[in-house]
Amino acid sequence: MMIDYTKIMKTSFNILLVIILAVFVAGCLESKKTQESIEPINLVKMDGQGAVQRLGTGEIAGFIYWEPYPSTAITKGYGKPLLYSGDIWKEHPCCVIAYNYNWRKNTRNADDILKRVALMQLRSVEYINKAKNSGSPDHEELINFSMEFGGLSDRQTANMSINDVEFVYRNDIPKETTFIERIQDFGIFDPGKWNQSGYKNASDYANSLVTNQYVEWALANKDANLKDVALKEPVTIRYGYLVNDIHELPFYVAWRKGWYSDVGINITLAEGAPFQNGAFEMQKGFKSGTVDIGSLGIPPVIIHRINSNDFSKDDARVGVIAGMNDEGSVIVVANNISSLKDLGGKAVGYPGPGTIQHVLFLMAADKEGLKVSY
Amino acid sequence: MKSNSPGRVLFINVVSLISFLILWHALVILARNDIFNIPFMRLRDVPTPIETWYALTGALFTQTHGPGLTYGIVDHTEASLLRVIQGGIVAFVVGVPVGIGVGYSKLIGNILNPIIEIIRNMPPMAWIPLAIFILVTGGSIFIVFIGMVFPIILNTIHGVKSTDPRLIDAAKTLGASGSKIVTMVVIPSALPSIIAGLRIGLGVGWMAIVAAEMVIRSPIGLGYFIWNMGDLGRYAEMVAGMIVIGVIGYIMNISILLLQKRFVKWVD
Repeated sequence: MMIDYTKIMKTSFNILLVIILAVFVAGCLESKKTQESIEPINLVKMDGQGAVQRLGTGEIAGFIYWEPYPSTAITKGYGKPLLYSGDIWKEHPCCVIAYNYNWRKNTRNADDILKRVALMQLRSVEYINKAKNSGSPDHEELINFSMEFGGLSDRQTANMSINDVEFVYRNDIPKETTFIERIQDFGIFDPGKWNQSGYKNASDYANSLVTNQYVEWALANKDANLKDVALKEPVTIRYGYLVNDIHELPFYVAWRKGWYSDVGINITLAEGAPFQNGAFEMQKGFKSGTVDIGSLGIPPVIIHRINSNDFSKDDARVGVIAGMNDEGSVIVVANNISSLKDLGGKAVGYPGPGTIQHVLFLMAADKEGLKVSY
Repeated sequence: MKSNSPGRVLFINVVSLISFLILWHALVILARNDIFNIPFMRLRDVPTPIETWYALTGALFTQTHGPGLTYGIVDHTEASLLRVIQGGIVAFVVGVPVGIGVGYSKLIGNILNPIIEIIRNMPPMAWIPLAIFILVTGGSIFIVFIGMVFPIILNTIHGVKSTDPRLIDAAKTLGASGSKIVTMVVIPSALPSIIAGLRIGLGVGWMAIVAAEMVIRSPIGLGYFIWNMGDLGRYAEMVAGMIVIGVIGYIMNISILLLQKRFVKWVD
């Protein structure tokens, strides 16, 4: 039997034309529909420096980012704060300290190490909260640390940045449950992966993800001399963190002040660190096994422990041992924007899908009944 | 010859495609069960063809979850195609006259050749940073333009230069003016070559748009879609997007071939 090849080609070409036409017609109909209401706000992924610059050139109408980028844009006069993340959700959890499950499995004294990491966090947070006060003798030192870690060149921006962040060490499990529920509502989980995970509901998942046991040990040993609680044999930890993120200042303070080495933990930078965003730290760092312990936003942890996890290996499985900060992200907008509604149809910079700023922005838009495309 | 009959070719094509899908599926399943894995690759994270198919059908149309609006693959395709068409039109409008000028006039050729020869060797991707820094809007369209304009120029030059000189002489003898010769003799003769340039240009433009969309971020476009899905750890949707990119490129290629067959009847 002979098959007429050219005839098949012709027919498929005609079918194709029809499909393309249909797509365009559908597209036109849809654009008519959206004209009646406010157009969706377009979230566009970009790095923090890029977001500040593009707000300055007017290429984007606003951005949501972690400190110090909002303070940088504000002090440069590129924009003004529209919403602090605390206005979207008061005292929302943000960055946390997480460990890699496989590292813990293969490390004999992992629990002892994690206890000391929690203690470092507690000490740092107490130091920062005192030194935030401009009358404190440590204030200048803290500003210097923020400038180094945040890549800043001016003290005013550094001061503004640290005051927008609430540094913490405890995990708030009910609030982290709420985060999981919102991420579920926003359709970010891969449904197939969620089923594989076997978690019954958000609170079941939160309880398996987060523990306060190490923080409790840290509280009990709060005032101990660091040399007394030091590990007998020093260990090396490959640490992952986010680039220039003032939220993670407590980690930097403890590292720079030499407290980690005092308790017998040598910090080395994990391969690829500092990471561009938390989603990347989860997929490239924790999942690949190049990060032992790291700090990142809680939403990337929540999302990628489901979406990127291979459940037969549990390779993207992490546990959260301590908080890092609450709040500390800001929606900064151009000076001619006065409400979230004004952002309809415009481009807004953000660190990327699956980051805390992504989830916070969706929550803010949800309150106002606005749509966000990403 | 029997082995070249269209029926047989089609049969072999189909079998080859199905074998590829089976091999893909097998590699993933073997890796997932720790039986065989290619070193230094996490093949277990690659979606199987079946998972990819479900991801594709699930992500075709725009969905809303609460405030979040995720565009469907159809919308992303439309946006990317539109950019390629816009960039392509500009490239065509610029490239064809330049090509005719360079091909027909030695003087114009001598003036423009050194410039064209250097710029055409800068890959479209090398222009992305420049597009980001100097253009307020339309960066992706600009990258498509850069990708498409040089194949069009070069093929037009080639087409013009290979015009049979006897035809030009004949036209001259019949008293045709310079502009008449270009429009009535040179352009028709060069048309197949121009269309070939357009076809190559579309291929390059399609590759360039995907790369440009990944870097010059806008909320819609196939390059953006696959990167976004990767960020969310939704690898099945990501691979589905990659396949759509391949299929669209293929369709564009055969569409131009068919157009050429239909409208440029004097070539063969």
